[in-house]
Amino acid sequence: MSPLIPRKILLMILSGLFLISCQSSTPSKTVNNDLMFLHLGGEPTYLNPILSTDAPSSSVESLIFSGLFRTNSKLELEPDLLDFYTVTPSGTHYTFKLKENIRWHDGAPFSAHDVKFTFDKIMDKTTNTVRRSNFIIDGTPVQFNVIDDLTIEAILPKPFAPFLIRMAMGILPKHLLEMENINTTSFNRAPIGTGPYKFSAWESAQFIRLERNSHYHFGPPNVKNIIMKIIPDSNTALLALEKGEVDESGIPAKDFKRYSNSKYVDIYRYYDLVYTYLGFNLKKPLFSDQKVRQAIAHAINKDAIVNGVLKDFGISAHIPSSPVLWSYPENTSIPIFQFDPLKASQLLKEAGFTLNPKTNILEKNSAPFSFKIITNKGNKNREKTAQIIQRMLANVGIDVKIQLLEWSSFIKIVNANQSPKNYDAVILGWSLGLDPDGFSIWHSSQYPNGFNFIGYKNENVDRLLERGRTTVNSDKRKKIYQKIYQDIAMDVPYLFLYFPETLLGINKRVHGLSNAGPAGLMNPIENVYLVE
Amino acid sequence: MKYFIYRLASAIPLIFGVCFLSFLIMQLAPGDPTLMYMDPSVSMEDLAQVKQNLGLDQPLLIQFFYWLKELFRGNLGYSYVTGKPVLQAIFERLPATLLLSISSLVIILLITFPLGIICGYKKDTWIDDSITIFSFLGLSIPTFWLGLIFILFFSIQLNIFPTSGFLDPLLYNASFFDKACNILKHMFLPLLTIIIGGIAGLIRYNRFSMIKILAQDFITSARARGLSEKRILFKHALKNALLPIITILGLDLPSLISGSFIIEYIFSWPGMGQLGVQAVFQRDYPILMATILFSSFLIIIGNFLADLSYAYADPRISKASNETHDT
Repeated sequence: MSPLIPRKILLMILSGLFLISCQSSTPSKTVNNDLMFLHLGGEPTYLNPILSTDAPSSSVESLIFSGLFRTNSKLELEPDLLDFYTVTPSGTHYTFKLKENIRWHDGAPFSAHDVKFTFDKIMDKTTNTVRRSNFIIDGTPVQFNVIDDLTIEAILPKPFAPFLIRMAMGILPKHLLEMENINTTSFNRAPIGTGPYKFSAWESAQFIRLERNSHYHFGPPNVKNIIMKIIPDSNTALLALEKGEVDESGIPAKDFKRYSNSKYVDIYRYYDLVYTYLGFNLKKPLFSDQKVRQAIAHAINKDAIVNGVLKDFGISAHIPSSPVLWSYPENTSIPIFQFDPLKASQLLKEAGFTLNPKTNILEKNSAPFSFKIITNKGNKNREKTAQIIQRMLANVGIDVKIQLLEWSSFIKIVNANQSPKNYDAVILGWSLGLDPDGFSIWHSSQYPNGFNFIGYKNENVDRLLERGRTTVNSDKRKKIYQKIYQDIAMDVPYLFLYFPETLLGINKRVHGLSNAGPAGLMNPIENVYLVE
Repeated sequence: MKYFIYRLASAIPLIFGVCFLSFLIMQLAPGDPTLMYMDPSVSMEDLAQVKQNLGLDQPLLIQFFYWLKELFRGNLGYSYVTGKPVLQAIFERLPATLLLSISSLVIILLITFPLGIICGYKKDTWIDDSITIFSFLGLSIPTFWLGLIFILFFSIQLNIFPTSGFLDPLLYNASFFDKACNILKHMFLPLLTIIIGGIAGLIRYNRFSMIKILAQDFITSARARGLSEKRILFKHALKNALLPIITILGLDLPSLISGSFIIEYIFSWPGMGQLGVQAVFQRDYPILMATILFSSFLIIIGNFLADLSYAYADPRISKASNETHDT
C-alpha cells in the first residue's frame, strides 16, 4: 500500500469532522422569540440626528433618540419628551413643558438643558450640520431659553408654521457631548439617547444591535432586542426575508406576485411621500410659453407611465402634495390636463409650431422643437419614464433626447449658481415633508441659488408661500396651499408624474403593527411583538 | 540589501507623485461631499458652511499640502461622510477583504496552475478545449447574476448557507472555533462566485506560458537528449513557466486590499470594495486618498516581491541585476 492512502483517508475524516462541527455550532435562527431582525439598505453615516441626512441613519436614530414630538401612524404630531406646550396668540413665543423622570440610557436625568444644548449645537457654525437654516427665520435664529429643568421657551422672530415639526428633532445628551467635537466624537458611533431602544453594538457594514430601554417613558417595548442587518442589495435583502434572516424588507413591484401568497410574509402597501416629475427649465425660450407646457402635459399619458414603470403600483400626480397629507386639497378645482394628443397638437399650433412633413418634427421659425431630458444614471424608474415620455412626445412631433448623468454631474448642472442653467428638462423626484411648506422649491427667491432650479416665478404664488409659512391655523393654511396648488398646476412648471407605492414585506411572526403608511408600520415600536 | 534600500527610497517620490496626481484627478470630478444633499429642507447657506468647515473652499494645492502635513504627523484624517477616523474605517473593513481575496487567490492558483499546464501540454486536444470552454463560461457569466443564483439555490432551495453577511450577529461572543466556522459558511458563496469568475484568466496565462516554454530550444534539446516527458515537464518547463505568473501576482497584490464591490454588495460582505466605491460616489476624499496611498504602496511592494521571486525562479536575472549594479 502506498503511504499516501492513509493520509488521504485521514484528510477525509478530518474534513468530515470539520464540516459536522461547523453544522452543529450554527445557531437556530428562530429560537429567540425576543429578537427581531430589521433591514438597513446601507451603512448609516452618523448615529447623531443633527448630523446625519441618510435614510439608514434615520431608521436607527428613530429607535435610539426622542424629540419633543413624534409622528404617529396618522402622520400627526404627538408629544414625545414633551408633556404639553403653550403658544402666545402672536405665534412667536412657545413654552415647552417636558415630561418628568425621563432618563438617558446611561441613567443621567434628561432636562431642558439637553434641549437647549441640542439646538445650540445646530446653530454652532463649526458643526457640520445642514439643519441650521431650519431654525433661522428671515435671517434671525430661533432663541431657546431654559426656564427651569423641565421648561424651555422658544422665541421666534415671527410666526413660523413648520416650526413644531422641526422640534421632533432627536435631542442629544449635554452631559456626554459638551466637551466633545461633535463632528468626530465616538458618540456618533455609540450613541446614548432617551428612545425606546439602547445602542448595543455596531459592526461596520454588518449590523447594528439594540436592546430595549426598560425605562422608556412610554413603557418598555415588547421586543427585547433588535438587530438591524445592513444588506445593501435589495435582491439579497428580499431573499433574506424569504429565508427568515430578516423580518422586513422592501418588495420590488416585479416580485409582488411571488410573495403575495407567501406562507411567511405579509405584504403591506402604501403611498410614499415621494413624487416624480418632469421639470422644465423655464428660463429657456422653448418652455417660457405656458401653452407649450400645457400641450406637453396633454401629450403625456401618466397612467401609461404608472403602468409601464411602476406596474400599476402607484398613482398619477397632479400637484406637489400627496393624498395622504392633511394639506391635500379636497375640492376638484385643481386643473388636470388629461391625456389628449389632439388637444396637445392644437395648443402647439396656437403657440406657433407647425409640423415639418419631412422630419415629422414641429418647427417654429425654422427651429425644430427638440430638447434634452437629463436624469440621474442608475435610477431605472426615471430612465424608463424618460423613454416613455420620449415616445409619447414623438407622437405629437416633439423630438426628445435623453442623457443619463452620474449623480454628482447631474447635481452640478441643476444646482449651478447661474442663470439660465445649462439643461432643458429634468426628471427628478422630491420627498415631501409632513408640512406643506414648499418655499424652497417654488419661491422665486430660491433661484438660481436654491432648489427652485427651474426658475419658476409667479408673484401670487410667492405671496401665498410667504403667507402659508407664517399662518399657524391649519384650516387657513389648507386654503392657502389649495390656491398655491391651483396656480402651480395651471402654470405647469413641472409636469407632475406619479406617486409610487411602497411595498413592504414583513414576516408573519411580527404583530402589533400600525396601519400601513409613510410613518412606518412599526409605529409606535413599543407595541410590536413577536409570535412564533 | 543596498538594492532593497535603493528600491524603497526611490518609491517615496513615486508614492508622493501618485498621491498628488490622484488628488488632482479626484478634484476634477464634478461635485464634492456637500453636493450629495439634494433635500429642499437644506439651504445653500448650510451647504456653504459645511464646505468651509471641511476646508473644501480652499485652493487645491493648499488642500493637498494640508493633507500631506497631517499625513506626516500620522493622521490620515476623518471621513467627510461619517466623521470616522480614516484608519479606523479602513482597518474595520480590511480583515474581511483580505480573508476573501487571499483565500480566493490561493484556491484560484491551486486550480489554475495544474489546469493551465495541462492545457498547455495538451494543446488543441479535447482536454484543452473542454477546460477552456468551461473556464470561459465562468468568465462570461455576470457576477451579480451568478451570486444571486447561488443564494437562491444554496440558501433558499438547499438551505445550507446563509444568504449574506460575514458572521452571525448572535455569535460575536462565541468561541474562536465557532466564529471561524460561521465565517467560513458565510464565505462559501462569495468565494465560489469569485473563483468561477476568476479561473479563466489565469488558466489562459499558464497555458500560454507553458506553450511558449515547451516550444523553446532547451526543451527540444532535452527531448533530444532522451529525457523523460515527466522530467522535461516538471524539472525544466515548470520553473520557467512560473515567471509570467509571478509578474501577474505581483501586480495583483493591490487588488487583495481593494476588494470586489459587486461581490461585497451582493453578499453584504463588509469589505474594502464597498467602502471604496461609496467613497468615490460620495466624494469622500480622505478615504479615497488613504486607499490610493495603500494601493500604490502595495503596487511597489508587489513589484519588488515579483523581482525577488524572479531572481529565485531564474538565477540569470539575479546575476544580471548584480552585474548592472557592479558596473
